[in-house]
Amino acid sequence: MAIIAVIEKEFRMFFRYPLRVFSSILVGIVFLLQFVFFGQAVLGGRYSQLLASSTGIGDYPTYALVGYVLWWLSVSPMEAYVWGIRRELQRGTFETNIAAPVRITELLLGIALSWLIMDSLLMTVVFAFGALIFHISITFSILLKSLPVLMLSFLAFLGFGFIFAGLVMMLKHIGPFAQIFEFSMLFFSGIFFPLGVMPGIVVEFSKILPLTHSVSAIRGIFIGKSYSEIAPSITWLILLVFVYWLIGYAIFRWAERVTRVMGYGGY
Amino acid sequence: MKAIEVRELRKSYPKKIPLPFRKVQWVEAVRGISFEVRRGELFGLLGPNGAGKTTTIKMLTTLLEPSGGTAAVLGHDIRRDAREIRKRINLVAEGERTLYWRLSAYENLKYFARIYYVPKSEEKERIEGLLKLVGLWERRDDLIMNYSRGMKQRLAIAKALINDPEVLFLDEPTLGLDVQSALFVREFIRKLVDEQKKTVLLTTHYLGEAEELCDRIAIIDHGRIIALDTPEGLKRLVKGEDAVEIKVRDFPAEKLEKFPWKLAVVKENTERGTVTLRGQVDEDDLPKVVELLVKSGSRILSVEQKEPTLEDVFIKLTGRD
Repeated sequence: MAIIAVIEKEFRMFFRYPLRVFSSILVGIVFLLQFVFFGQAVLGGRYSQLLASSTGIGDYPTYALVGYVLWWLSVSPMEAYVWGIRRELQRGTFETNIAAPVRITELLLGIALSWLIMDSLLMTVVFAFGALIFHISITFSILLKSLPVLMLSFLAFLGFGFIFAGLVMMLKHIGPFAQIFEFSMLFFSGIFFPLGVMPGIVVEFSKILPLTHSVSAIRGIFIGKSYSEIAPSITWLILLVFVYWLIGYAIFRWAERVTRVMGYGGY
Repeated sequence: MKAIEVRELRKSYPKKIPLPFRKVQWVEAVRGISFEVRRGELFGLLGPNGAGKTTTIKMLTTLLEPSGGTAAVLGHDIRRDAREIRKRINLVAEGERTLYWRLSAYENLKYFARIYYVPKSEEKERIEGLLKLVGLWERRDDLIMNYSRGMKQRLAIAKALINDPEVLFLDEPTLGLDVQSALFVREFIRKLVDEQKKTVLLTTHYLGEAEELCDRIAIIDHGRIIALDTPEGLKRLVKGEDAVEIKVRDFPAEKLEKFPWKLAVVKENTERGTVTLRGQVDEDDLPKVVELLVKSGSRILSVEQKEPTLEDVFIKLTGRD
């Protein structure tokens, strides 16, 4: 399958340079430590009554670690499309790929999936490090129970990111535009502080972001909630998977038509 | 059935991204060209930079949507059957960065074999055969970033043969190569046509290359085909008109435009300050040309009569070098 070839190629190029892998993990850890220590400094300790009453998790490191890792994974497909495709355009290899009989959607999905898998591996290390440093107890059953929600979240993240796949092909340089979305999600999805402290309109807006529901569901699992208790978040996620894949695909098809008039190459 | 059939093909580029409700200006790059390429033929598109050669190749390889006209590759319409065409053709694009520099030669070919749907059972043998064919088998595990420009181009050609294409598009395949590498590439291309019976459409702005390699040549300028024939046929356009080559020093090139004869700069030596002009000049007019050159402050170093070449055809048709 061509998609496997794309993933294999991306993996080879990424893991060929151990320093790059090491620096990616280090960046992940440094940001995590900053956010957690900053939060604890503001709270005056690791436990927050406000957090406990509004989200169920009173322990700030657990709250932030889950949110942070999921945020990183949620922006991964977006980053793959924006920076991965941009890199192909700059290298001059994008057109060489497009000239092949492989479907363009397969190529793009291959890039996004490989970045998502690579980021998942890196974030596993960061998560394990965070759990160790902050003495967060994780059981096998929590991990197992989180997996289906995580897979559903990945589907939603891939669909959300797909919106950018067509745009980058057509507009070429949309890095700054995508960054606005990446950091908006950090702010609007309740990653480092509960959404309850935000105005009502922001809370409503946050519902259209897949990360909001993904974080809420996984945090629920961490505090021992059953699937039926996190059903509203899962329902939202399923709905958003369809919505974002449809929007993403429609934008992609339109952008592809425009790009075929202007040309794929050149940056 | 012809390998390639082109009828009144046109292409205009928007100056800005054509977003809804945005008024954009369009620039015409290809203005209604027509030609046919027979199976097993090496056909050349010859023209200066910006003539429309690459745009034509991109349309024929289904990378660009034409603005008008029709074209078929191996009987398939370029608008409707893009995937079918892509399976049966391949392309060496212009420039050296068309492969992954952080992968080895073997890994590059393996990747492209997969996205060209080469059967897994044939993959290993085909990659080995191609790497041996272009003389890179011994360096197969080296990263491309450590290859010379010539080696990269040889690998780009190997990549273009990975799906055993019936039609091969080569966009300026010898651009920027040293003499030895360019020679290898030219001989290799000719062999592809003579021995493997491939159809090749090649673009170049090197007149010598087109003359040496191509069975037929279309001269393209400002998006239009201005002549199409065999190299010999094209040279007949200037038959009986001997070419003159004049080597001068301190020649102000801008004055050339005001000359009443079609002369072009064919060689320039900036270190020595010399320029070689070439064109068709009648015997009677030659003293006038020399006089005008002297008046413009130039020193005449030599005046020679030459056999007409494709270069003279090009100068005659376009008025430029």
